[in-house]
Amino acid sequence: MPVRSLMSRVVLAALGACLVLFIVGPLLRLLFFASPASLGAALRDTELRDSIVLTVFTASLATFIAALLGVPLAYLLARRNFPGRRLVQGLIELPVVVPHPVAGIALLLFLGRRSEVGGALAHLGLEFVSHVPGIVAAMLFVSAPILVSGAREAFRGVDPQLERVARTLGDTGWGAFRRVTLPIAGRGVLAGSLLAWSRSVSEFGSIVILTYNPKVASIYIFDRFTAYGLQAAVPAAVILLLVALTVLVVVRVLQPEERR
Amino acid sequence: MIRLENLHVRVGTFDLREITLEVPTGGYALIIGPTGSGKTTLLEAVAGHARLRAGRVFMHDDDVTHLPPERRRLGFVYQQYHLFPHLSVRDNIGYGLGRGRGRRDAADPEARVAELADMLAISPLLDRPIRGLSGGEQQRVALARALAPRPSILLLDEPFAAVDPATRQVLRRELRELHEREGITTLQVTHDFDEALRLGDLVAVLAEGRIAQSGSPEQVFRYPNSAFVARFVGTGNVIAGVVERTDPGNGTGSFRGTFRGGSLVLEVVAEREGPTHAVIRPEDIVLSLGHSPGSARNHMDGRVVRLERTGPVTLVHLDVGRALIASLTTQSVEEMELKPGRSVMVAFKATAILLV
Repeated sequence: MPVRSLMSRVVLAALGACLVLFIVGPLLRLLFFASPASLGAALRDTELRDSIVLTVFTASLATFIAALLGVPLAYLLARRNFPGRRLVQGLIELPVVVPHPVAGIALLLFLGRRSEVGGALAHLGLEFVSHVPGIVAAMLFVSAPILVSGAREAFRGVDPQLERVARTLGDTGWGAFRRVTLPIAGRGVLAGSLLAWSRSVSEFGSIVILTYNPKVASIYIFDRFTAYGLQAAVPAAVILLLVALTVLVVVRVLQPEERR
Repeated sequence: MIRLENLHVRVGTFDLREITLEVPTGGYALIIGPTGSGKTTLLEAVAGHARLRAGRVFMHDDDVTHLPPERRRLGFVYQQYHLFPHLSVRDNIGYGLGRGRGRRDAADPEARVAELADMLAISPLLDRPIRGLSGGEQQRVALARALAPRPSILLLDEPFAAVDPATRQVLRRELRELHEREGITTLQVTHDFDEALRLGDLVAVLAEGRIAQSGSPEQVFRYPNSAFVARFVGTGNVIAGVVERTDPGNGTGSFRGTFRGGSLVLEVVAEREGPTHAVIRPEDIVLSLGHSPGSARNHMDGRVVRLERTGPVTLVHLDVGRALIASLTTQSVEEMELKPGRSVMVAFKATAILLV
């Protein structure tokens, strides 16, 4: 029996190790493929710098909008039982299963000048296609589900009775939310927001259709690769990878222990 | 003062209805009932957390039916305490004393926290996080937090359910002392009638969402108005049976009759005929050695099944064709040399039999 259980443990560990190596291997290869000198040169390239600044700006704006609209929704989904709750929950997760170019085409049709919505917004001076708002829209579309589900789980982890206690202690409903639920769920909400932010940073498929120019970092890398080949794309890829790794570490630190 | 008028609350498919109850200012009332009888729902309704379908809630003659919880000036201690996990003990206690939030007692929140911590012997814990506190400590913190804003009404939901028996005793005594010192009108929920006897001025027995009986603990215990209440408060022997009239009565309503419950035939003073329950308190059953004089009413032969010593009082489990429990002083059990298997004569007075 001990032998068999040892055997099975070895097999399980070997299977898991294969997958971990498959994920870590390519990323490590990429990290060490670029020479420090080429990284320095890449950082001095204003086009890359601009694309990173644009990516960080648009991803942050998309995350802010997602949080503004999504955190209240997450709270409702976690706490209230309203008719159509499951439907709303399903709809909000739709972008996860839609292939990203499909999302890009759908957004193009919806926000393009020829649609009623896009036309009306263009009238107000808000142009999406081949403009920065298009990037934000695409990022919002793909990252909102991540923020909403992260925040929803964070709110679910807070005992609803705590708000009732706070109310008997003199808080209004909003006061109880602000002083009890939000501080307790805050780390989880922030972690969800960061995941949504990194999802935005990594988005390519829908942005490439909606707004090729100005280029966000993922499109810049793709552009370098197709125009100049592998060597030209690597330094930018490494920098983007480092940004993603940093975010991952911060998210892990923020998440409550039991979910790490 | 808390006055509930004909409350009706629905939670899911459960209905709490026709709840009418008044707790005088400074009084200590207990709602008792089995699990699922609606006790917690009743407290939530008083606190303003549950929406009323009908009825009104008064506090100190003010109609608070439509006031939100935060404007009812009450303290609520939950069964599971529900302390704020992100705050220290000190900040938990001081939560309701927020600066400039229009709450009374904004004078010196720190002094109030210190005073309560002192009163409840938790001063050394003030700077600790909530995680790691024992059940008894959490209970004290929850109580201090509820009392800090000097509420005029205190609601307690099974406050001693989650602490060990020794701590429970101490907390009970402290709570009663606190109640007297702070003069807070208190409404507590419990499933333990013993607690009601020790703490309450008033008890209401809740059964399936309605008040089955209310009154002083003594009155409810001695004169339960239904078989349910008698069983629940542990009044004693509850026997289902039928009353038959044996004399026409004197016109005031009560008459002599015969109660038949299985093999048991009792002579009773009744007010109505038909199916009913007889309640016989264990201390009203008289045991003696020897055999019953066959003709005498309410005398019968029995056999001791088991003795259950509870200190100075011993419960004698009897078989008289059905099970009965008598309560005797341990001294007389010893003098009579009662032991399992021994034959005894069992007797009770007609007036000791309560028909409910």
